[in-house]
Amino acid sequence: MLEVKHICAGYGKREIAHDISFTVNGGEILTFIGQNGSGKSTLLKTLAGQIPALSGEMLIEGKNVSEMKRNDLAKLVSALLTDRPKTDMMTCRDVVETGRYPYTGTFGLLGDKDKEAVREAMEITDTEKLAENYFREISDGQKQRVMLARAVCREPKLLLLDEPTSFLDIHYKLTFLELLDRLRRGRGIAVVMSLHETELAAKISDTVLLLKNGYCTGLGKPPELLGRSVLTEHFDISAELYSKYYG
Amino acid sequence: MKKRILLSFVLLSTLTVISALFGISAGSADITPDQVLRIFLGGGADDTAEMILLKIRLPRTLAALILGGALSLSGYMLQTYFHNPIAGPFVLGISSGARLTVAVTLILAAKGAIALNSAFMAFAAFVGALLAMSAVLLMSSKIHSMSLLVVCGVMIGYICTAITDIIVNFADDSDIVNLRGWSVGTFSGFRSESLVVCAVIVFAALTAVFFMSKPIGAYQLGESYAVDMGVNIKAVRIAIILLSSLLSGCVAAFAGPVSFVGIAVPFLVKMLFGTAKPMIMIPACFIGGGVFCVISDIIARTVISPSELGISTVTSVLGAPVVLMIMLRKNKDNVGS
Repeated sequence: MLEVKHICAGYGKREIAHDISFTVNGGEILTFIGQNGSGKSTLLKTLAGQIPALSGEMLIEGKNVSEMKRNDLAKLVSALLTDRPKTDMMTCRDVVETGRYPYTGTFGLLGDKDKEAVREAMEITDTEKLAENYFREISDGQKQRVMLARAVCREPKLLLLDEPTSFLDIHYKLTFLELLDRLRRGRGIAVVMSLHETELAAKISDTVLLLKNGYCTGLGKPPELLGRSVLTEHFDISAELYSKYYG
Repeated sequence: MKKRILLSFVLLSTLTVISALFGISAGSADITPDQVLRIFLGGGADDTAEMILLKIRLPRTLAALILGGALSLSGYMLQTYFHNPIAGPFVLGISSGARLTVAVTLILAAKGAIALNSAFMAFAAFVGALLAMSAVLLMSSKIHSMSLLVVCGVMIGYICTAITDIIVNFADDSDIVNLRGWSVGTFSGFRSESLVVCAVIVFAALTAVFFMSKPIGAYQLGESYAVDMGVNIKAVRIAIILLSSLLSGCVAAFAGPVSFVGIAVPFLVKMLFGTAKPMIMIPACFIGGGVFCVISDIIARTVISPSELGISTVTSVLGAPVVLMIMLRKNKDNVGS
């Protein structure tokens, strides 16, 4: 589904993530694990096309991303990033509907198929009740679910999520991950995300990519990579400190 | 939601018709509604009344409708571009930039004894608007506070106005007869040729903007979301800059400075319609701007009749309080979040 080959990411001349390569298949979840500033967000932004890759290439379903039309790419990939949209007088439904953008015509009007995708996405993210509320007036956790509905209603092949659980309480954190699990099983969506909760990442991810100072320090199955010794070293925590809080 | 939008459109259209009729009937010369009707139906009224109606009042009302719409739309685009509700062609100095190049062009043409046509005037204004816009854009890359950017825009406006004043002071009176008239801002004295040029430019730009409703809507969400939606941000930005400069330049060239319409009207329209969707906002801002300017123009020529107020005097009195209200609201919102 997604093949990343020797991608270097950063802003202008400042390279932040170096020579990253990995592959994700449909229905799989790959999670970036790393400290703040390790390059997770930069990498996700590059994958999402927000900033151009400094070098390397990305293939989606075998096609080189740099050769694809913007609109075609947008149909395949949707991203849920950390910045919030500026919504002024938009209701939550309006915000979710913007997810269907690549499918709509000249004036961006939604057809029946689009409306059905929006309805379904709002149903599975439990945001139907918020539909007529102004987006700016709901809580951070609710916003996050609305934004997920927006990303999902596009019916993408690849979902990119930057710290998707950070505003959520434990209830929605777990239902969010449960939802991701259902999406990848049901729709075969490939997910690439960054997550701070290592114990949750270990449960849900098929593959984990450890990032430290912009370098990939490990790529593989979570049980090995997210064990105590790797984690303490990766996050620069002493064994005592780790034991005190994680046992 | 849909009902409100429909009702608002009906309300705005009714206002347009009523204010336009009133604009045609009101003035220092007494022409009865009965006479107005007869003139338009081609019946025999006296020649003076017909002259006043068809050569003075009708072009003036049409100019206010078209250019008012252009100003409001230009303001809406600038607000979209900068994500700032108090951006507008007047406060960002774009109108003043356009006036400067028009003044220079007029004087140079008079010196060279070249007759200027309206299309060329509009082009000169467009260039001036673009130059002022570039100055604002250059500064916006360094300044990230929106209120500071507006202050910079006001300064650019002052600089352009000052240079215009200097140039005008050194010019011969005969060179600037055309300039004095619009340096205070007015919708009067439109020749049919200028009116046609304005109408062509403004309606072409309006159509282009309307066809951009979809990418503008995406752009409003913020840059990263627009990219996520597959929008070519650079192209949208360039189009917004060119079209808003064209619209505000056109107004500056033919009507002179008309302040605050570009900020006040889009805000009032948004409140009335209860939505920010570009597909609704674009036509609504255009109609709203027209109504606002026709009403302002009626006030300008009736309160101290037979003398006249500058159009900007009226639009400032009506518009500036709205701008203050926007800033207070924005401040409150910031505290809230």
